[in-house]
Amino acid sequence: MSTAMNFSNKSFTPRPPDKGAFPLDHFGAVARPSLCVAGECSAFKERFMECLRHSGYESAACRQSAKAYLECRMDRRVAPGQRPGCRQLMANEPLEKLGFKDLINEKSEEKPEKS
Amino acid sequence: VVPGETALAFYKAKNPTDKPIIGISTYNVVPFEAGQYFNKIQCFCFEEQRLNPQEEVDMPVFFYIDPEFAEDPKMAKVDLITLSYTFFEAKEGLKLPLPGYK
Repeated sequence: MSTAMNFSNKSFTPRPPDKGAFPLDHFGAVARPSLCVAGECSAFKERFMECLRHSGYESAACRQSAKAYLECRMDRRVAPGQRPGCRQLMANEPLEKLGFKDLINEKSEEKPEKS
Repeated sequence: VVPGETALAFYKAKNPTDKPIIGISTYNVVPFEAGQYFNKIQCFCFEEQRLNPQEEVDMPVFFYIDPEFAEDPKMAKVDLITLSYTFFEAKEGLKLPLPGYK
């Protein structure tokens, strides 16, 4: 830990995250390993990282990809060729509560997608 | 990153040894005064995480900067906030003390 040599008495107190910890997305963490592939949501992560690189690391430009990744972690979205059901690696939260309210409204204006 | 907007970031951790390691991480934010505006919605920290030998995993952090940040005159010159994590090996029975100055 870095030592802050300042004159104030304030200290940095880390706070736990609001919604808890992400379990690691790895093979050993799932209950039914025979059905699951290691790093299930890494395709979505790659898409997100690719988007960031293209946008010059503008977080706002890649919110759709971030949303897709989190949906994967909540076991809501299946990449082609994958089987659902073993990636509930994050508690299901309504997307509005995760700051994606505007993206949901956009989506409902298009044709409904098959989930 | 825009204050008030949720954002996703990834860190990568690797266990370079040939034994499984159980780690626990804590974080730090610089500049110090920006830390109060940093809100984590979900991350990999504070809980033990097991890494198998040679395993490399992605560690996501989902966060937002409190919009009050934009109103704070002390933050006017701050355009870079750095979030760093340190991983410690968890020892049985050891409760990791939260860093701070008493």
